[in-house]
Amino acid sequence: MRVPTSERILAYVILIVMAILVLVPVLAGSITAFKPQIIWVSSPPTWIFEPTLENFEFVFFTRKGWVYLRNSLIISGGSVAVALILGVPAAYAFARFRFRSSKALMQWLISLRMIPPIVVGLPFYAMFLYLERGLGIGLRDTFPGLIITYQTFLLPLVIWMMRGYFAELPAAMEESAMVEGYTRLGALWRVVLPVVFPGIVATAILNFIFAWNEFFLALILAGNRTSTLPMTAGTYIVRTRVEWGNLFAVNLIIMVPVIVLTIILRRQLVKGLTFGILE
Amino acid sequence: MPDQPFSTRLYHLTQRQRHWFFIAPALIILLLVVIYPIIFSTGVSLFRVTFASQSRPFVGLQNFERMLGNDDFIQTALNTLYYVVFSVSGSFLLGFGVALLMRRVTAGKELLRLILIIPITMAPIVVGLMWNWMLDPLFGLVNWFLGLFGIPGQTMLAQASTARMTVVLVDIWQWYPLVFLIIEAGMATLPRAPFESARLEGVSSWMIFRRLTLPMLRPVILVALLLRTVDAFRTFDIVRVMTDGGPHLTTETLSLYLYRTAFTFSKLSRAAAGSILMLLFIGLVSALMFRYLYRDVEVG
Repeated sequence: MRVPTSERILAYVILIVMAILVLVPVLAGSITAFKPQIIWVSSPPTWIFEPTLENFEFVFFTRKGWVYLRNSLIISGGSVAVALILGVPAAYAFARFRFRSSKALMQWLISLRMIPPIVVGLPFYAMFLYLERGLGIGLRDTFPGLIITYQTFLLPLVIWMMRGYFAELPAAMEESAMVEGYTRLGALWRVVLPVVFPGIVATAILNFIFAWNEFFLALILAGNRTSTLPMTAGTYIVRTRVEWGNLFAVNLIIMVPVIVLTIILRRQLVKGLTFGILE
Repeated sequence: MPDQPFSTRLYHLTQRQRHWFFIAPALIILLLVVIYPIIFSTGVSLFRVTFASQSRPFVGLQNFERMLGNDDFIQTALNTLYYVVFSVSGSFLLGFGVALLMRRVTAGKELLRLILIIPITMAPIVVGLMWNWMLDPLFGLVNWFLGLFGIPGQTMLAQASTARMTVVLVDIWQWYPLVFLIIEAGMATLPRAPFESARLEGVSSWMIFRRLTLPMLRPVILVALLLRTVDAFRTFDIVRVMTDGGPHLTTETLSLYLYRTAFTFSKLSRAAAGSILMLLFIGLVSALMFRYLYRDVEVG
């Protein structure tokens, strides 16, 4: 497309302003994490100072941040693993087999995206409570409990994304493998999965991000033993004051891995964020 | 083929139904974690259940009546509607605009895109906390910046008149990049030919936009609006950390109100009734949008 120079300059100006509106809060906030306590709330903001890691040390060791980091990793990693184990075979079937209810089921899977978390979180809390009182099965404030709950938003997304990746492959691939004596499952495992592996990685990363950032369900269903990083961020706000340096240290610990993963994943991002409805 | 031996027929049956072996595990878990809770909630909403008492009398639709007759519920429902209307339209217009502008730049495009999408990767709770800091009346950058122009410090989050719009603006800040990404991806799939011939015939860019771009992007636009509507409707994290619903419920969303009803006031059935109403409402809205969407796109 040929664009007049004036139009292009205007586009650059506006887009750079938009980029600044993103970068200023993110960077200015983040550097607070490296400020010594006395200048956390200086006004006007102090820009030149000797950076320190004491906030990170405090958050990580004194306030047990490493425990929350571990919890977040277990819950996000575990729920993505479960979603992949359940979702990849289902996605494969949706992509390969023609059956009557397939279309309706796929649409039903998208419709799950609209359910507000409170609609699921509330009964989960009650169900966990009754299970504990009635049958002695404790799921509240446990890793399995949260990992199960997170399937409500991870599993449909895994199926949708993976179905797209499987559909891109020619069916002849397994068929020729099956002629050579592989069973359907054998062909899936030995022939198809290695080829579709980059898709699995992309799906896993995006779902990991969603689980990692999740706050609402964790707020309801996690407790002392399973608190996640996003939940602890709120604990640095005390009624009268906020420990800004410590808070931004936690924020950075939450943010940086996701930003790195996003840079790796950016081409697959739209597909995942839109459930692949756009294809 | 009734004359076939049973084992052969069984084999054919399993061959015909083999997809269920792959799908069943996922389906069973989804029924268990999504459908069962909704049924459970519906059940709970018909009784009077609190976390405190053991007796659970059947009360029929009383919880629903109480909810619909409750000023706070109506107020928070209207607040939620306000969020949906302004956050969806704001993020849509901004995202669409940025997508259009992006087509006009060349150098540094990748970098710009990467910077612009940072907000959607951040946890909403982190975004809320970060903007609390930006908006702080004493040392926040926003007020410091306004001060350069002689505008005195504002307490945007503490005043009823500005709190709601401030939260909406932060929500737009976080989510317009999503619209941008979706629209950009949609534009990339548009065929070139009709645009080139229109340009050759001297059709103005505005007419090309209205008569070609917009209609051809319709399904993509609907997807963007649908996703944003569904997300704005459930807003919780940002409000929870920025205002916690205050001042005087002016920023409280349905999710936050129902959360409080259940966990602060321990009125489980009342909250369950409210959440079912919420589900019915968003179900209706997205079903309408879905239908509109399916009319011209083949999904699945």
